[in-house]
Amino acid sequence: MRPILEIADLDIAIAGRRVVRDLSLSIAPGETMALIGESGSGKSMTAAAVMGLLPRGARIAEHSRLRFDGVPLSPEDEVAMRPLRGRAMSMVFQDPMSCLNPFMVVAGQIDEALQRLGAGNGGQRRARMLELLGLVELPDPAVLARRYPHELSGGQQQRVMLAMALAAEPRLLIADEPTSALDATVQAEILGLLKSLQRKLGNALLFITHDLAAAAQLAHRIVVMRAGRVVEYGPAAVVLGDPREEYTRKLVSTRRMLAAPPPGRPEARAVDPALRIEGLVHDYPARRLFGRPFRSLHGVSLTIAPGETLGILGESGSGKSTLARLAIGLARSGAGEIALFGTSIAQRARLDRALRRRCQIIFQNPYGALNPRLTIEAAMREPLELLGLSGRDDRVRIEAALVDVGLGGEHLARYPHQLSGGQRQRVCIARALLSDPELLICDEIVSALDATVQMQVIAMLKALQAKRGFAMMFVGHDIEIVRWVSDRIAVMHRGRIVEQGPAAAIVTAPQAPYTQMLMAATLGSVAWPVPAGTSKGCDFECPIPGIEPMSGGGANARSLRPIKDEDVLSHATAAAVDGEDAA
Amino acid sequence: MTRIVAVLASLLRGLLQAALIVMLTFFLCRVMPGDVVDVLGLEGGLTAEQQAAMRHSLGLDRPLPLQFADWVGHALTGDFGRSIRFDRPVGEMLGAALPVTAKLAALSFCLGVALALLLAIAATARPSRWLDAAIDLVNTWSIAVPTFCAGVAAILVFSIWLGWLPVIGGLLVPVLVVGLDNAGQIVKPLGEELREAVLLPHVRTARAKGLSPWRTAFAHVLPAAMPVVLALSGLVLGGLVAGSLTMEVLFALPGLGSLTLNAIHGRDYPIILAAVTLIAVALVAINTIVDMLHRLIDPRVS
Repeated sequence: MRPILEIADLDIAIAGRRVVRDLSLSIAPGETMALIGESGSGKSMTAAAVMGLLPRGARIAEHSRLRFDGVPLSPEDEVAMRPLRGRAMSMVFQDPMSCLNPFMVVAGQIDEALQRLGAGNGGQRRARMLELLGLVELPDPAVLARRYPHELSGGQQQRVMLAMALAAEPRLLIADEPTSALDATVQAEILGLLKSLQRKLGNALLFITHDLAAAAQLAHRIVVMRAGRVVEYGPAAVVLGDPREEYTRKLVSTRRMLAAPPPGRPEARAVDPALRIEGLVHDYPARRLFGRPFRSLHGVSLTIAPGETLGILGESGSGKSTLARLAIGLARSGAGEIALFGTSIAQRARLDRALRRRCQIIFQNPYGALNPRLTIEAAMREPLELLGLSGRDDRVRIEAALVDVGLGGEHLARYPHQLSGGQRQRVCIARALLSDPELLICDEIVSALDATVQMQVIAMLKALQAKRGFAMMFVGHDIEIVRWVSDRIAVMHRGRIVEQGPAAAIVTAPQAPYTQMLMAATLGSVAWPVPAGTSKGCDFECPIPGIEPMSGGGANARSLRPIKDEDVLSHATAAAVDGEDAA
Repeated sequence: MTRIVAVLASLLRGLLQAALIVMLTFFLCRVMPGDVVDVLGLEGGLTAEQQAAMRHSLGLDRPLPLQFADWVGHALTGDFGRSIRFDRPVGEMLGAALPVTAKLAALSFCLGVALALLLAIAATARPSRWLDAAIDLVNTWSIAVPTFCAGVAAILVFSIWLGWLPVIGGLLVPVLVVGLDNAGQIVKPLGEELREAVLLPHVRTARAKGLSPWRTAFAHVLPAAMPVVLALSGLVLGGLVAGSLTMEVLFALPGLGSLTLNAIHGRDYPIILAAVTLIAVALVAINTIVDMLHRLIDPRVS
């Protein structure tokens, strides 16, 4: 059978840097091909090239050949590509919130895609639009069609994107990380939908992801990419179950680092608790004239000892980020007491320099946390100047701080957009640690990163903590990661701490009903596609014997099963030491 | 509901500002050296006694706050008094002048925004050196050449050298001059905004849908840039009041600007106050409309 998409020797260069090298693959009609890799591996660039949506400045090498259903593609020719887009092939993107036009109702956006097909009058198009919304299993299409994107949930938004992409019944659907911006349960739904739609419509699917479990669930064949090259290529079960390449093995076993505790706790530098919060209440002001304010924190109390790590675990909307911001004086509390190193800050408008120096915060989104118009050096110089720590040796100190986080002097002159997400977060960590703080507040700092990068970043963070002895408040939603990083965990739910205790106890023997529910939900989705077979690198047990890679369940497989320590750490440490690929 | 309350609140704020402006104008008028009677006295050769009698009959010798309260009381009922100099109802005089200014301002505003939008959109949809050069030219022109210079030059070229247009009374040249000036003020930030807007993820989605460049520009890029367009438009409209004043004087258009300027020279208080009130209220109305449009365009603003 003639392949629907055939790529031979694809080479893409941006400003002279080759981001994709010698990539060749072919997709048969109706087949699902997963393109797996970390950020910066070139997987999204490959997809953009197929659609002809490469960013300005990206060039495809002369010798590269792309064929769509046997016909040569010329991705750099806008006029030639436009007739294909939205007809023969279409695409779904990562972040549905920003990928839908915020100024247009759902109906209008889907109608555009239908108008473009040039078929039918207004009434027919409307009927088809409702049919499409039904196809992606959205309840009450007629009501939903009148809504604006911001009035939909993330899952609904992604379904609308899918409906739009499927308007033309394309022969090839490209899905670029379609679920990574969504909550775990919603991810599973969308993946299931992609699969069932493909069965119904028979389109080929190029599925780009960093989530191996998702790839295992959907893909017939898998291509593993790294630094623009194909590392491994083959049927999904074989690649994930019995990886031949070292890199793939590392990918498959990346979360196993979390099974063993991190290196020992640092020595305390002080006596006063780093942070003490008592009866903290916070309200978001009413948005309407007579509306009631939204209470995001209902009397939260906690203490963080010097050198200790307290994990704050909760779902989105539980108030954990608000807590983090309040703890460092970035927002005003309604009532209650906050003491940083014994100094009360609850009633202060802002922290003075001395306190600011001793506590720092790192945010979730490293893309937003760095000013795109400042070089890394300038961005890191700023806190030194603001905190009155600036001196002659600034450059040396900044470079040393970058080396601490696995970067180097060559990054000083770069701009944030020239770094990968992981590298950016490292810069943020280095920047926060410049003033040698005694308390570091980490607000979901790894949730925007690839899985292997997550492991590298938290391993690095723990190593730095062991060396420097700062206390941490580690806010997160990923149970395993929070457990690994933290000495104690506080579980938050709807603005309250429902349970607080030693990390191991919270995870293995939760007392509060909510925590039990949370743990059970996570345990329910265990399934790493690891075979019982004994290939050379498979030095750990299969999590649950008899689970087959293809049928393997959840999108977000997270094993909480206790794994023996000695099983593990070889990869983890390797990953942490390796650092990322220099982009 | 929330939207209506928010719009009303901004309208109220604006009216309060307008009231402050009017009050300030009232007292500033009286701080100016010489009053209307001095001017008339100089022109008509009145004696000191005649002048004093005139001041008394006009009520100008009463305490200022009282005069102001009086004026406000009448203004609220729509009575702006009579021009001291021309002895005609102020309302009637403003009514004659307003359409001229409104036409001039509206036409030059439309020309300016249309020209700026056209250039910026064209440069974004089909980037070319020529368009960039044209944008730079218009922008530099409006920064470097004040409208009164451009106006004089336009009179020289069109009316005297080419003999195409009447020097006095024609709207075309002033509209061209002010419109070009307006376009130059906003075309650059507009272009920048559009250039950033084309990189937005939802614009990429539009391209992935295979929409034409023009459709993408008008339905997806432009709405994203619209808040900035509106903000810039409000700015330009505010500047138009001053801009049309010079044009009216230069081209002898009997508009609000000429009227106000002459009234200031003659210390004709009722006209000054009425004109300022009118302009202030108009600006408040424009701001409110801009605010409402912003809310209308962007559904996320509550």
